[in-house]
Amino acid sequence: MHFQRIIRLISTSSIAKQSSNKSPLASLRKKTGYTFSNCKKALELNENDLEKAESWLKIQAQELGWSKAAQVQNRVTSQGLVSLIIDKSYGAIVEINCETDFVSRNKQFQELSQTVVSAVLQHSKTIINETSFNKIILDSDKLKALSGPDGISIADHTALMIGQIRENINIKRALAISVPSDILLIGSTHPFSSNNNVLYGKYGVLLAFKSKALEMQQEIGENLCQHIIGMNPLKIGEPEIDQANPNPEDETTLIHQEYLLDHSLTVREYLEDTGTHILDFIRFEMGEIAEGQQNLDAVETGG
Amino acid sequence: MALVSAKSIFYPVLRQSGQQAVFSRRNLLLLQHRNALGKQLYLPSIVLQRYYAEKVVYSRSKPHINVGTIGHVDHGKTTLTAAITKVLSEIQMATAKAYNEIDNAPQEKARGITINIAHIEYETSNRHYSHIDCPGHADYIKNMITGTAQMDGAILVVAATDGAMPQTKEHLILAKQIGVENIVVYINKVDAADEEMVELVEMEIRELLNEMGLKGDTVPVVKGSALCALEGKKPEVGSESITKLLDAIDSYIPVPVRDYEKSFLLPIESIYSITGRGTVVSGRLERGKITKGMDCEFVGYDKTMKSVITGIEMYHKILEFAEAGDQLGALIKGIKRTDIKRGMFLCKPGSVKPHDHVEAQVYILTKEEGGRTKPIVDLSQLQIYSKTWDCPAQVNIAEKKIIMPGDDDKITLKLYKQMVFEKGQRFTLRDGATTVGTGVIINHLPNLHQTDRQILYAGKKGIEKLEKKRQRSKA
Repeated sequence: MHFQRIIRLISTSSIAKQSSNKSPLASLRKKTGYTFSNCKKALELNENDLEKAESWLKIQAQELGWSKAAQVQNRVTSQGLVSLIIDKSYGAIVEINCETDFVSRNKQFQELSQTVVSAVLQHSKTIINETSFNKIILDSDKLKALSGPDGISIADHTALMIGQIRENINIKRALAISVPSDILLIGSTHPFSSNNNVLYGKYGVLLAFKSKALEMQQEIGENLCQHIIGMNPLKIGEPEIDQANPNPEDETTLIHQEYLLDHSLTVREYLEDTGTHILDFIRFEMGEIAEGQQNLDAVETGG
Repeated sequence: MALVSAKSIFYPVLRQSGQQAVFSRRNLLLLQHRNALGKQLYLPSIVLQRYYAEKVVYSRSKPHINVGTIGHVDHGKTTLTAAITKVLSEIQMATAKAYNEIDNAPQEKARGITINIAHIEYETSNRHYSHIDCPGHADYIKNMITGTAQMDGAILVVAATDGAMPQTKEHLILAKQIGVENIVVYINKVDAADEEMVELVEMEIRELLNEMGLKGDTVPVVKGSALCALEGKKPEVGSESITKLLDAIDSYIPVPVRDYEKSFLLPIESIYSITGRGTVVSGRLERGKITKGMDCEFVGYDKTMKSVITGIEMYHKILEFAEAGDQLGALIKGIKRTDIKRGMFLCKPGSVKPHDHVEAQVYILTKEEGGRTKPIVDLSQLQIYSKTWDCPAQVNIAEKKIIMPGDDDKITLKLYKQMVFEKGQRFTLRDGATTVGTGVIINHLPNLHQTDRQILYAGKKGIEKLEKKRQRSKA
């Protein structure tokens, strides 16, 4: 124990010395946030010139990110975020995966999902001109080819992030929707958090609906989003065609489900009471599609 | 005659707990013997929970500590764990575990909850350690809620080549959230870095710890290479660093207070009435010590009653005193059998207070873990089970209104009756025959008023009806 204390004394005293005349390595690391070994390499290659080393790092970052991405590409990404954005009659929802939930709570990761979801929204605006009812599903490859607001491709953004976070990241899937102007588009996530109009969570729902109760529209929409997140319906259903499941616990048709916020009603009754008509919904649950297999049911949810 | 009937009534209860009791007594005696020799007495609170005759009896000569590793996936947590077991196995203090034995840890099920966790056991000359490594934030939180392995301290692993990662901050937030204050830092991979880098990493980590409100200036930082230790190369950065790390853990992480001098508490399991003698309550003494003639109090189901313990009996034998862990029957003066109910607690007068309004951290079970598919919503009514009691309660969820299966969250519980509900007490939430979730009390809120109770009894429907009535009268 005494030995331990002595060791501690020695190391802290040398730290004090270190911090008084900050080494180029320390300042470069602090400024750029790249790993110590990369900072070191940058300084060695640029003869300890801070500015040169920094620009070298920036150029290298992309490449380093790509090499790290190649290294980790086979690692399982079971955690992540669902994020969504709504801009009037356009909406986009995206699932991005990473390895640990520590990373998905990280600000930088949330920024990446913000970039991706904005790119998807932008993309949908450019290809859908008329304001009619439209839906586009984007898979991982198509998503990576899109470019973010700064003109850099999503694939490059992802590689950069992998270089920084050093965990595998997978842009899993996305969906963009546009609705006519008389239809209301609303979205919600769970657990709810938001930043710059983008909503994040483990679950996300986009809902297109019409309601006669104009004043209550927003609230009705939010309640329905919550119901869809909680009860996971697979389709809306038609009262004349779809039969209610004899076991209400296993009901997957939205209109026949017990309404989450009031068990005495079915969703159909709630919709009738409030004069609401649901046109479509999309529900994303983080990790619901296992790695490498595309579950068609989940993609067509609400179709 | 009276005594004979007492025995016969006691018999079925004691038969159940008899085997446990035999072992516990023997153990206690052993410990008392040691205590007499001048050694410290450490008696974990779990003393009676698991005893299997065919297994090796766990020696309690050293205090037990739970530690966990936290850090980035690539920084060598698993290698470090493997290295610790290897270094200690050389002095017969652990069983060496290979990297993949730890890394591919099977999913563990604790109270029906699946936790991805690797459990490793080892000893130093002073202490016995249980070492855990959970892959994610959710796993650590579940661990805290179910109480499977509460961490007493943590080892933060950082690679010297990378330094702190953006997510290291999240790791430290977690440590604070689950109440781990004592952290030892291991700077790994120093063989791949130079001296300057290692020092800078140390500085950076201390700075970050300070920034997060942890004791950055005083935490022990050990530098080494877990891989070298595991492969038996370069002992100066390899095995020696592991020894240093263990020394640091031994000296820096304190032994949690496991207090046996606490005021006594006995959750009542059954109540008997013995003609000519009075009322007997039985159960396991959770903590403290009772002697004949002590004042006591019954708390629970909105009631608090004072009495005196006039006799203690265990195993058909009269005892002068009983200690934590004993399964016993206590003879009570002046209280009728019908006045007491299973689920009330027998305790030292004034030592516990009844509560009906608490804040809790809960984990909701997924369908696969035996829970429901449906989320729980605000104002739903569930049955709470804790120790020997159960009581209906209303769940209040702030803001977001629902908690999905697989989520952990903070809730407020309003109980229909005032019960003994202490901080840190664990409970399960049930809905009919299904276990919905499990939780731990984190805070007490002011007890409910009469009016709050009325609203509570009215339930969700009642609240809505009142609301509608009010609206109608306005219109």
